[in-house]
Amino acid sequence: MSEPLLVVEPRGHATRELVRLKADRLRTESEIRNALQRSERRALWIAPSVAAVRLLLAALVGRPKGDQRLLALEPALEPENCARHNLLHAIFRFVVSADEGIRLLQIEELADVLGSPNREDLFVGGAVVSDDAAAILYRGNLEPLVVPLAWFRARPDGPKPDPTDLAVIDAGQTVRLGEYEAATDAILYEFDDAYRRRAKKRELERDSSFGGALRRLRLEKGLRRTDFHGLTPKEIARIERGEVKKPHPRTVAILAKHLGVPAKQVSTY
Amino acid sequence: MPFTLNLPEPWPSRGWKAKIRDRERLEPPHVTILQKTRAWRFDLRSGKFLDKEPDPKEVPKEVVDEIRSNLTLLRRQWDGMFPENPISSEEPDDE
Repeated sequence: MSEPLLVVEPRGHATRELVRLKADRLRTESEIRNALQRSERRALWIAPSVAAVRLLLAALVGRPKGDQRLLALEPALEPENCARHNLLHAIFRFVVSADEGIRLLQIEELADVLGSPNREDLFVGGAVVSDDAAAILYRGNLEPLVVPLAWFRARPDGPKPDPTDLAVIDAGQTVRLGEYEAATDAILYEFDDAYRRRAKKRELERDSSFGGALRRLRLEKGLRRTDFHGLTPKEIARIERGEVKKPHPRTVAILAKHLGVPAKQVSTY
Repeated sequence: MPFTLNLPEPWPSRGWKAKIRDRERLEPPHVTILQKTRAWRFDLRSGKFLDKEPDPKEVPKEVVDEIRSNLTLLRRQWDGMFPENPISSEEPDDE
């Protein structure tokens, strides 16, 4: 179940773009404390302004925290204010803030994602850590997902992904790197086992065989049938066509090794 | 750069898009219909929706018709973008 949405809006600081969002609006410290009690130790707090972050901190410091998550829409963690930075990270399990190099969705789309019943399957923002060749993407429930930049591979004659220009677009359904676009669905399918299982359930009845899963995974990894040392292309083709219903465990182990996934996961793709 | 199919008005102004992005789940080949936070995958081989949810009936008939009438173009785009998994052919056993 999704965590409750709580928007902190001190008097005089209402955010027009969030008006449509179905959420509890909290204006005072006592309202925030009451909401904390009602939320059963799990909530997603939205602080549209620095004043909202200050009010939230004043109300929550010293309270039992549980699984609290914070989305701060305005820079609230001034780099020079390390103490506040540490305080927020001590109180909240996840902090997604417009500063810290995180680029958020534009606010109307952000409100759509937060109000969506499947917000955990959409991204609200992201950042690139160039030194570590990774992108951190934040889901609608604010949980981070780390994706190696190498995964965003360029197509022949297609645009090269530009890690200096990362943005989440299409209401959280596409990650853009310059002119290059990757589907959120493809990212989650590759890096989140639970999403992959749910996605397969949503599919219409079609090829659910081991061979179908092998073909999908092999193509996702950009491998050819000739790339599997220890197996011939003909053997792989027979498995993919379903002529071998249940490959020998040794064969599955070879496949898994080349595909870079645990053997028991091959059939989940 | 993704391929975006031009849909007729009023659907784009209501947030409807149809795209093949540079990185998609490759199998089966598909175009994705997007509307705000919802998405439907449409199979370019069979000309049918790939998923039960969200309900394909929620996609306006005019949008589906536009995609069906541009299937040849969409298939050509897919094959150009993802030659390793073309629409029409099975790989030979020994490549």
